[in-house]
Amino acid sequence: MRPVVVAGVGMIPFERRDEDSLMDMLATAGLNAMDDAGLGDRPIDSVYVGNMASGLFNHQVSVASALVDRLSLLPAAADRVENGPASGGSAIKNGFLAVASGFNDVVLVVGGEKMREVIGPKATDIVACMTHPQAEYIYGVTLPAMAGMFARLYMEKYGVTREHLSMVAIKNQTNGLLNPYAHIQMKITMEGILSHPQSHINSPVVADPIHLYDCCPVSDGAAAVLLTTEEIANKLKKPLVTIDGIGQATDTHTLQERSDPTDLKAVTLASEQAFKMAGIKPKDIDVAELHDAFTILEIAESEHAGFFPKGEGAKALERGETQIGGKLPINPSGGLKARGHPVGATGVAQVVELVWQLRGEAGERQVKGAANGFSLNFGGFGNNVLAFVLRRKS
Amino acid sequence: MKTITAYKCNKCGLVMYPYHDRCLNCKGRDFKEIAPTSKGKLLTYTVIEQLPWGMDERGRVLGVVEFDNGVKALGLIKDDAPRIGMKLKVNWEPVREMGGEEIFGLTFVKTK
Amino acid sequence: MDMEVEGYLRPPEMDLPPYPPKVVTLATGGKLIIRQASRADVPILLEAVRPTMKVERDFYDIVGARVYAELLGWYRHRVRDEFCLMGQIDGLLVGVVNTRLYSRELGISLHTLATERGLRIGAHLFAAKMEYSFEYIGQEEVLITAESPIGFRRWMIEYELIEREGQHELGGATPYGLTKELYYKHKDRLVAGERPVPEELLAVAEKEIIVASEDDILEKILGAKRRER
Repeated sequence: MRPVVVAGVGMIPFERRDEDSLMDMLATAGLNAMDDAGLGDRPIDSVYVGNMASGLFNHQVSVASALVDRLSLLPAAADRVENGPASGGSAIKNGFLAVASGFNDVVLVVGGEKMREVIGPKATDIVACMTHPQAEYIYGVTLPAMAGMFARLYMEKYGVTREHLSMVAIKNQTNGLLNPYAHIQMKITMEGILSHPQSHINSPVVADPIHLYDCCPVSDGAAAVLLTTEEIANKLKKPLVTIDGIGQATDTHTLQERSDPTDLKAVTLASEQAFKMAGIKPKDIDVAELHDAFTILEIAESEHAGFFPKGEGAKALERGETQIGGKLPINPSGGLKARGHPVGATGVAQVVELVWQLRGEAGERQVKGAANGFSLNFGGFGNNVLAFVLRRKS
Repeated sequence: MKTITAYKCNKCGLVMYPYHDRCLNCKGRDFKEIAPTSKGKLLTYTVIEQLPWGMDERGRVLGVVEFDNGVKALGLIKDDAPRIGMKLKVNWEPVREMGGEEIFGLTFVKTK
Repeated sequence: MDMEVEGYLRPPEMDLPPYPPKVVTLATGGKLIIRQASRADVPILLEAVRPTMKVERDFYDIVGARVYAELLGWYRHRVRDEFCLMGQIDGLLVGVVNTRLYSRELGISLHTLATERGLRIGAHLFAAKMEYSFEYIGQEEVLITAESPIGFRRWMIEYELIEREGQHELGGATPYGLTKELYYKHKDRLVAGERPVPEELLAVAEKEIIVASEDDILEKILGAKRRER
């Protein structure tokens, strides 16, 4: 396999974007990545679109074909990649393989989702369609409910408290204030979401013990990366950031069939693969973007990915090690918690953030001197996980 | 009583629910269909305050139950004060209405 | 003004007990003061309502236009038995809510208009007007409807509202009832606020009802302005 460079990145701010269609968002993010790379009118061989549920949210399918038409990239190959909340990560993996294998030289990967076309409870229902139709969905299970059942066991086993969960929320919403692309631009306090006797009215239970401020918002948004070879990237203007490692693993569809439901095996395996492929270790990572769709997941993933031993993630958080300026800043972008989680966009947005960080273009939230980055895109409830290691080439 | 069908691998004995075409453990393809026993214990649960569209209620308790014969399944827990490890008795009742139709599933109540 | 003719036109008015101000601690840690607006406050409240009438999103235009008319009607004695509560953060007006009393026993919830979003201001203000109806005026039931889908179904579920016969005063939509019993059942989960409000906080709120600029109000209700990269 030949090295793959992320030559261009692009995003649009995640928020509720009533004025844009899904296609408007995908096209703008795609153009932003092409322009960021300085691609000009060079042809693109393939386009991969990460999107979970445009058919259900927007009554539109075949969005990759529509996108190449919008961007005048015809006759480029075009595929939509659907892998639940890991659709973005899977789309990048496909783009990576196309370039690494020599099949394509220039690939555009765009992830996007327009979720706010429907009201909250309908979005909850559409997202719940990824659960098992007979064994889970019919009971009214939601993704927050899966997180609730997981969190109850994880918190008890490892001594994680609601204060820890709130610390993740506060950290990520604080980081989000430094990210103009983040949906939630609001500083929250421990008093306001947890310690005040009436804080439960601000942060009500969604699926006990998961409260409102433990959940990512429902957002519209899109993000894109342009992948190419070192040879072509050298002719373009941007500092080289390469995808050095990718890992992906799956786990049982239902939570109940995991022998230890607190063990996120797919996170561990995907991360191990990505590190092995990149030839570096978790301790070499300078910045990480984890999939904090729920606050408990940031803590659990930071352990399963190998950054901290089991049960130590919450302690590292307490010590401030995961803040910007700490030993391992996690989610300097604000994560899903503050940036938002337009499901198909997330895996791509994480890689976009890493590229900005590794190039030194992350503005006020820049992790100083970051050279190695890691991202984790968590699909289903941990049943399909992708991990990425990105590195800056000096 | 109607209930779910679980599967026991004829080769290695692993009990599975829902259905898999090959055993999660030994890849075997022959299974014996088994029904869960009438009682089990609660492994984990959540109280859902924000349900999906079409379910106009609050405080629905869902949990994973391990039956005495090893079958594990998610179901509706009809108890206001659930706790991990509590003994439960199973029923087969409507759990949701979809498209005007009642959908049946596992429900549980406390037992000794 | 010909007060003799006015006498025929003005609806009769009940004496209402005062709504004591309260302070709600927000997720930001900020302090939201909720207190009763007086008739004399109406002109300044209208300034904050006016910009919302241009915003189609979430039916702000309809809600804004109706609140404007309701408050003006109250100010100039053309609405019967209306009350209005307002929310302020550091003096800044962030929302208004109003209700009209059909009788001593029955309230008709009119509107909840928040000009700051993401802090559950609307939810706190809505809860406050229910608190006033049930705990201070002593009403038996309040009829509720909504023009905007935002949160309405959620609130119906949160308060377990009961579908009622007839037409709601607002456009004739189906009315949903919140009874005294249901209010007290859900109060602890939904109604925030502490009393008395510390003097210095109340002094700031009472000193001036600050109204944000039209641009600021539009930016808040349409979503934050962004810097495109």
